[in-house]
Amino acid sequence: MRIADISVESLLQRLSSDGLGIDFGAARARVRTALPAVAGMIQTLYSGYTTEDAEGMFDVTVDLRRVRGVRGFIRPQCELLCDGVPEIEPFPLDTPLPLREWGTNYAIATRLFCYLLLHAGVVERGGRAIVMPAMPGSGKSTLTAALTLRGFRLLSDEFGVVRLGDARLLRMLRPLALKNESIDVIQRFEPTAIIGPRFPKTHKGTVAHLAPQASHVDARHEVANPALVVFPRFDPSAGVELEPVTKPRAFARLAVNSFNYHALGPDAFDALGQLVHESSCWQLRYGDLDGAIKALGELLDETRPIDESARAAQYPQEVA
Amino acid sequence: MTASPRTPSMQGPPDSVRPLLAALADPASTASYEETLWDRVIPLARSARLLGVLAHRVFENVERTRLPDRVQRHLDAGLIEARFRRQKTLYLLHTITPILEGHPGPWVLLKGAGYIAQDLPFSHGRLPADVDLMVPRTSLAGIEQGLLDAGWEFEKNEPYDQHYYRAWSHELPPMIAAGQAMELDLHHGILPPVGRIRPDTARLFADAVPIAGSRFNVLCPQDQVLHAVVHLVYDSDFVGRLRDLLDIDALFRRLPLSDLAARHALIERARLHGMEQPLHLAAQLSRAWFDTPGCDALVAEGDVAASPFYGRGIVAMANRVLGPTNGQHGSDRSARTSELLLEARSHWLRMPPWLLAYHAASKGVRSLAQRVTKREDTATG
Repeated sequence: MRIADISVESLLQRLSSDGLGIDFGAARARVRTALPAVAGMIQTLYSGYTTEDAEGMFDVTVDLRRVRGVRGFIRPQCELLCDGVPEIEPFPLDTPLPLREWGTNYAIATRLFCYLLLHAGVVERGGRAIVMPAMPGSGKSTLTAALTLRGFRLLSDEFGVVRLGDARLLRMLRPLALKNESIDVIQRFEPTAIIGPRFPKTHKGTVAHLAPQASHVDARHEVANPALVVFPRFDPSAGVELEPVTKPRAFARLAVNSFNYHALGPDAFDALGQLVHESSCWQLRYGDLDGAIKALGELLDETRPIDESARAAQYPQEVA
Repeated sequence: MTASPRTPSMQGPPDSVRPLLAALADPASTASYEETLWDRVIPLARSARLLGVLAHRVFENVERTRLPDRVQRHLDAGLIEARFRRQKTLYLLHTITPILEGHPGPWVLLKGAGYIAQDLPFSHGRLPADVDLMVPRTSLAGIEQGLLDAGWEFEKNEPYDQHYYRAWSHELPPMIAAGQAMELDLHHGILPPVGRIRPDTARLFADAVPIAGSRFNVLCPQDQVLHAVVHLVYDSDFVGRLRDLLDIDALFRRLPLSDLAARHALIERARLHGMEQPLHLAAQLSRAWFDTPGCDALVAEGDVAASPFYGRGIVAMANRVLGPTNGQHGSDRSARTSELLLEARSHWLRMPPWLLAYHAASKGVRSLAQRVTKREDTATG
């Protein structure tokens, strides 16, 4: 059963008792809250996820609740507990969802040290992934959102999750956070897209979330092979321009933009090396979303999967 | 008293942390843990900063494939973070060695860095946040200048902080440097020179032992135990410090405390430094939490005068606040009261009342001044 199929009342009932299990793919969380407004928002944004009970082991348990005490009357706030610990500063009470989403991302990033976590949007078609590292002003979330509305499946918007050892990409399927103008851009781009309530005045401006589609959620346990690394740059004056990026440069930019490359040592070096080796690496300047999507689709079709026998010849010690 | 040696308030650790203690004490038994039990153990271990230690103990006793995938991943995360911190610790030591050259030693590594440099088995999986290095007072100024010249800087550089550390502390303010993940605390002693316990610093240096294959030294085994002891039961408020108690447990076992001669040598050394009461208290806690062999004997043999700072009341309060809570009893009023009382105790022990009053007043005035300045800045800006 999907979350869309149960009533808000029974959803709230679950959220305020044992909790609701949500499986993002590479991680799963147990979510608890007694705030009625949040139940409605969760139903909108997680409509495609399956309902899971709160038994068993979860990577993190998050409790979203109103801050108690005298201060709560003067300036109402909500706080997020990760495994019972308030790891994050409280937010104003009228922005529970951004706190929940941002806080859950934070909690997962600090708990999944067993994977290389790239700060990147990742989508896939036919099991072949496009990794789009986030640079300030890159428009990474907008492009990722638009791709997932045009036949590419979402792996993740915040974390590119790379498995150590074989450099396969795992999925971390979460509602995709759109900021400021991007919200209207995506709503116009695809009027049927499900976008949650808007929260003005967060520390990142206005934020709204795009709900992942049910078919993407269903693929949450499938791994994808690296195929393209694309560094996007939004430029209203540009059409669509693609330029190759050398592999060492792509490697360095991905490493610097990772959440935990520095801590994983040689395991991260090897995994990222393999990911870049198997990928064709490009810089994309775009002012036009449709054009960018078309160009990336063609690029993906033109890029052949890496020939493993050629790889073996290049790194003979690996075969032994 | 003799019929019931433990009153209810001294029963030891709260029930909420027992799953973690059970896993640490008997890691082989985790092979049969249900996922619902791991769901309690892993967050407790992470909050206590003991995930790496737990991972080492589990993987040494249980075939990896017998554990659920998700459990393996979290334990791996603990190992990875510990490996990173260990490597960063050794890297820091490697980079500062040339700076120390020419300044008379011994250069003594304290606590975590010392355990790692000696490669003690219980250091595997620890997550040190800083490197504590003790050098003779006569070498301190030269080494400090050498570090500053090499790019190290003080994290807190306000005149009052500098004055506080230099006048009343046993260490300089924490130092940081680009490219280093660890802070460096440069010590010239192990306890504040103005506190109630004044260890024999000359003997700490004189009896320090070199680490094989290294230019650094560590305290002699007894002093390593006693330093860990005073660090927890004299110089801290106990809150969330389970990992420090686990160090003490491991150091007791290493002596081993169950050996009569070793135990007496430790008590003798504690007497030299004026640390019998802290040792007695640490033994009671280590017994209650980890059932450390020899603690019973130490507690029974110890001829320690009753004291409000090390008595049963302190043991009972420490038991309430040492462990991770993970929200299990976060609003427990007795735990909150214990936290406040233990914090007051740690300040009281650390410096004489007149100095404490002066320090608190200076802090207050400075924070008020900062607030006023900030408000003026906002008004004009």
